[in-house]
Amino acid sequence: MRDLKAVGKKFVHVMYPKKSSALLRDWDLWGPLVLCVSLALMLQGGSADSKDDGGPQFAEVFVIIWFGAVVITLNSKLLGGTISFFQSLCVLGYCVLPLTVAMLVCRLVLLAGSGTVSFVIRLIVVVAMFGWSTLASTAFLADSQPPNRKALVVYPIFLFYFVISWMILTFTPQ
Amino acid sequence: KLRQGSNDDIEDVSLFDADDDVSRRSKKSKIRHPVASFFHLFFRVSAIVVYLLCELLTSSFIACMVTIILLLSCDFWAVKNVTGRLMVGLRWWNQVDDDGRSHWVFEARKVSAQGSKTSSEAESRIFWLGLITCPMIWVIFAFSALFSFKVKWLAVVVMGVVLQGANLYGYIRCKVGSRKNLTSMATSYLGKQFLRQTVAKEDQTAS
Repeated sequence: MRDLKAVGKKFVHVMYPKKSSALLRDWDLWGPLVLCVSLALMLQGGSADSKDDGGPQFAEVFVIIWFGAVVITLNSKLLGGTISFFQSLCVLGYCVLPLTVAMLVCRLVLLAGSGTVSFVIRLIVVVAMFGWSTLASTAFLADSQPPNRKALVVYPIFLFYFVISWMILTFTPQ
Repeated sequence: KLRQGSNDDIEDVSLFDADDDVSRRSKKSKIRHPVASFFHLFFRVSAIVVYLLCELLTSSFIACMVTIILLLSCDFWAVKNVTGRLMVGLRWWNQVDDDGRSHWVFEARKVSAQGSKTSSEAESRIFWLGLITCPMIWVIFAFSALFSFKVKWLAVVVMGVVLQGANLYGYIRCKVGSRKNLTSMATSYLGKQFLRQTVAKEDQTAS
């Protein structure tokens, strides 16, 4: 139960990214796992070939998120960052929370209709959440780099969340 | 948390102690933590069973994958935090210092003077049996998924190998102790085996 409380605290920290060391110090990967699974489940039933009941899509989302996070972590370590491997994975995983919320909102909006209005709403929500995710993770990760390298570290994070936002925005149910 | 500062108190338990059974008559062979033993094996075996029977159980690939992922995660948490501590008195974790550096800590429980806290043989056997065979089975699954081109299962299988392999590695490090080097121990064991075999062969050719 102590683990559950720790996970809950980290979720709150992501929503209000203050400069605290709770996310960095006691890392755990439960939150990222839950977020990854729920995001992958919500991205099912999309406009891909339906003969596989969206099977490969689930694994694709899973692999994109984890492999992408690993690559960003390797990149920041190669650039001489002081953060450890699992701490970086932890931060990147937890900062997927705003995008998961965006996915939920998108699915609800798509229930109402899929016209231009709904597209505009979804666009605004996804862009806002994408900005939030990127800012939250940058607030935690960019500090571990020397100042002239911050852009080199932020750029892959930007790309990572951009790909996830793209998957969310282009989701159209059948 | 009780932390053992000096490493001298940690008993050097050898990994391959099958010959010492006779001398340890005082150790009970009952199972002291039946619930922990059950769950230690339950999650691992059910993950493997679900993977093998997924075609028969349900036609939905996603349900199988999510179930296996959940079972693997529960197994990882249970083995790392609960069953290792209760059944064999070992634990390992990641420690982040105040200055931000992280390092891994491996601990073995000190054997108390009365011997009341010694782990039972049966529990120890169950623990190590489950810990060693399941990652090997997942590695076999990995190769079979790779060579039969069932790539969509590869994500699940890799996750199984990584999670269970991590627990195996952590507990072996605990058992060996942080002083000894894992590779030097393996080399010395293999060296002894090699020596035994060559001596046996020489005896055969000589007689």
